[in-house]
Amino acid sequence: MEKIPSLQFEKEPIDKNSVRFILSNSRSAFANAWRRAMISEVPSFAIEDVRVYDNTSPLFDEILAHRLGLIPLTTGGDNNYLSRAECSCNNEGCEKCTVTLTMSVEGPLLACSKNLISHDPDVQPADPDIPIIKLASDQKVVVEARAILDYGKRHTKWQPTTVCGYKNYPSISIDARCDGCGQCVEECPCGILEISKRKVRVIEDKLDKCALCRLCEKICMNSGIGDMPAIHISTEEDRFIFNVEGCGSVSTEEIMKQGLMFLKREADSLSNEIRALL
Amino acid sequence: MIPVRCFTCGKVVSTKYEEYKARRDEGEDLKAVLDDLGLERYCCRRMLLTHKEIIDELTPYQ
Repeated sequence: MEKIPSLQFEKEPIDKNSVRFILSNSRSAFANAWRRAMISEVPSFAIEDVRVYDNTSPLFDEILAHRLGLIPLTTGGDNNYLSRAECSCNNEGCEKCTVTLTMSVEGPLLACSKNLISHDPDVQPADPDIPIIKLASDQKVVVEARAILDYGKRHTKWQPTTVCGYKNYPSISIDARCDGCGQCVEECPCGILEISKRKVRVIEDKLDKCALCRLCEKICMNSGIGDMPAIHISTEEDRFIFNVEGCGSVSTEEIMKQGLMFLKREADSLSNEIRALL
Repeated sequence: MIPVRCFTCGKVVSTKYEEYKARRDEGEDLKAVLDDLGLERYCCRRMLLTHKEIIDELTPYQ
């Protein structure tokens, strides 16, 4: 019988927007499908249209709009908004699919994302201190921005993740021919090897830091040991180390959950299609 | 103006610029400053390291 896939989280997350975990008893097809779902199939809010009423700042309207578009907006998992494509308003923008944010600032001031006032308190700039534009005295910016819900597959500004990737779990074995010369310890860029009793071994708890670069194998061969190195790097094919980092719009838990829900929906619709054919 | 996000990975880096600038001008070691600010990847680190602020020179023009 096939083993059940399981998740194991790292004890202390680096910060609230970043998570590292190990997926065991799985396959690369699933790991990659999940990774891609988290990147491009989890909806989030981003500013899409900007109406500029007044702009006497040194930046062009287009640059200003581009900067506004890149600001991550908080998107709760249980929001009732629809994406433009699903909404019945025919691409016009209504309160079911659009959130309006306004900014009215006068210099001298460094306008930040906290100056963007949203009409929905649940959809706000994820960080209040993102600088938008520096204004000198008698310069003025008045804009109305419309944010919509969409997917990372359309534009990166809707991606809820920044870094989202995985690698196979490394497996390092050192055979009896190791003479403890220590060249691999010096060569390893991740610093995961040490010498103990004239043999090389992996430092405890550091195995998952291995970048699989195989520099240790190369230097071992160059040390004149023969045709084969004494240290062998391989990977466990059914275990993956995931690294998921959010940009602040959607929490990492929600990204993981919604990625899985997307895969489930796709699998369900595929099985329905097949059932209809039979 | 400092770009809102890292060009490569998309992490929001602009929020760290004010602190980076202040600590750089005090003559602190840039490596330590970037590590403190939580910029781990070299793509995000170069965003701050290589930024040239010219907004003040553009201010006279509208």
